[in-house]
Amino acid sequence: MLTITHLSKAYGDLTVLKDISLEISANEVVAIIGPSGSGKSTLLKCLNFLEPYDGGEVRFEGELVGYEDSPRGRRPARERQTNRQRARMGMVFQNFNLFPHMSVLENLLEGPVQVLGEPRAEVTERALGLLTKVGLLEKRDARPSTLSGGQQQRAAIARALAMRPKLMLFDEPTSALDPELVGEVLATIGQLAAEGMPMVIVTHEMSFARDVADRVIFMEGGEVVEEGPPSVIFSHPSNPRTQQFLSRVLHERFHP
Amino acid sequence: MSGYEWQFHIILDYWPIFVRGAWTTLKLTFASTLLGLVIGLPAGILRQSKIRWLRAPVSLYVEVIRATPALVQIVWIYYCFPILFGLQMGAETTIVIALGIHTGAYVAEIVRAGINAVDAGQFMAAKSIGMSGAKTLRRIILPQAGQKMIPPFINEFANIMKLSTLASTIAVYELLQESNNLIATVYRPLEVYTFLAVVFFCITYPWIWLSQRYEARLRRRA
Ligand SMILES: Nc1ncnc2c1ncn2[C@@H]1O[C@H](COP(=O)(O)OP(=O)(O)O)[C@@H](O)[C@H]1O
Ligand SMILES: [Mg+2]
Repeated sequence: MLTITHLSKAYGDLTVLKDISLEISANEVVAIIGPSGSGKSTLLKCLNFLEPYDGGEVRFEGELVGYEDSPRGRRPARERQTNRQRARMGMVFQNFNLFPHMSVLENLLEGPVQVLGEPRAEVTERALGLLTKVGLLEKRDARPSTLSGGQQQRAAIARALAMRPKLMLFDEPTSALDPELVGEVLATIGQLAAEGMPMVIVTHEMSFARDVADRVIFMEGGEVVEEGPPSVIFSHPSNPRTQQFLSRVLHERFHP
Repeated sequence: MSGYEWQFHIILDYWPIFVRGAWTTLKLTFASTLLGLVIGLPAGILRQSKIRWLRAPVSLYVEVIRATPALVQIVWIYYCFPILFGLQMGAETTIVIALGIHTGAYVAEIVRAGINAVDAGQFMAAKSIGMSGAKTLRRIILPQAGQKMIPPFINEFANIMKLSTLASTIAVYELLQESNNLIATVYRPLEVYTFLAVVFFCITYPWIWLSQRYEARLRRRA
C-alpha cells in the first residue's frame, strides 16, 4: 500500500528525517510514537507531500508520491498529479482544521464535490451516513466553532472519510482535546480500524496504540529507533532509548 | 486669546459651495477606491505567488508606491503621462488614476496581510483533500480573509478621502480648492479653513467609526 524507502528531509541545516524505510500494507494500523520534535509530523506530511522530501522516496499503491521520473531525472510532479494522490489519502490534524465558514455538512461535501467532481446529491447521502456514524447527524448544519473539540475532531474524521480514502493519516488527533473528550475520538478511530481501514496514527495515547495498532514505530531524532508489534514494544522493548521513552511517558501518565 | 472675532455667518451663506466640493471629494474618493480595489486585489494575490516573475513586478509596484509621496505620484502622472504616452487626461481623471494606483498598493498589502492571517492549518487541510491552489484561495482562504480585510479597507477609504485634497494642486474643484476660492472672495481664511476641517471630519469620521465597529465585532466573534 505505502512504501517508504530511505526517506530523508531537512529544514535548512536541521535534518529532521534520516534514512527512514517503512512498509505499510493494506488493512494495517501503524502507530508512531516518540518524543516531541522527533519528526513524526514531518514524516506524516511527507507521506501525502504536504511537505516535500529531499531524499529517498514514498510510493503509494506503487506510484511515486510528489515527484515524477523523466529521462532527465526526478523532478517535482505537476500539481494536478500530486493533488490526485493526496485525494486518495485522508488526513486528520491535531487542531482539526475544519473550514470555519462552512457548516459541518458542507465541510464533508467540499472535497468530493469540488475536488473529485462528484454529484452533490450522491455525496450528500454518503456524508449524512458518515455523520450518523460519527454521531454528528444533528450537527450537520452547525458551524464548527459551535462544536466541542471532540465533536470537531469527529467531524474532521468524517470529512476525510467523505473522500473515500485508501489510507488514513492521523497526526496526534487527541492532543488538543480536553481529557474527557479524548475517549469519543479514540472510539471513532478504533471503529474505523476495526473496519479494516489502513492507517498511520501519530499518538501519545499509549494504551490506545497498544489496543488498536498492528505495529508500533518508535521514532527519536528523526530516526526509526525500533518497531514491532505492540506486545513487544510496550512490554519488552529491546532498544534502551525506547525503554527510556516509555518509562518516562508511562510515569508521567500515572504521576503527572 | 488673541481676540479674533469669528464671523461664521459670512461663510454660512456660501454653504452650497461646500456641498459641491464635498460631492466632488466623495466622487473622487469612490472612483479611486474602486480602481484601487481592481488593481489591489489581484496584486495582493499575485504578491503571494510561488512564481517569481509574477511576484517580482507586483512587489516592485507596491514598494515604489509606498516609498513615494502621493503628491509626487499625482504631479508625476499629471505632467509625465501626456508627454511619455501622449495621453491627455482631464484633471479629475488624473486624480482618480493617480489615487487609484496609489490605493492599489495599499489594498494589495491589506490583501496580503489578510491571507497571511488565515491559519496555516486551513491551507494544509485544503491541500490534504487534494484541492488545487487556486481553488483553495477562492473557496477556503479568501472567504476567511475577506472578513478580516473589511475594516482596513474602510480605513483606506477614509485615507483616500483625506488624500483627495491633493487634487487641489492640479486645480480640481474638490473641497480644499473650493475653500481656497471662497477665501479669495470673502477674505475669511480662519472661518473657511475651520469650517473645511469640520466638513472633512463629518464625511470622514463615520467611516473610521464604522471600521472600528466592524473590527470590534470580528474580535468579539473570534
Ligand atoms: N516548517 C518548519 N521549518 C523548520 N523546522 C521545522 C518545521 N517544521 C518542523 N520543524 C522542526 O523539525 C523537527 C521535527 O518536527 P516535527 O515533525 O513537528 O516533530 P514531532 O511531530 O515529532 O513533534 C523539530 O525540530 C521542528 O522544530
Ligand atoms: Mg507533531
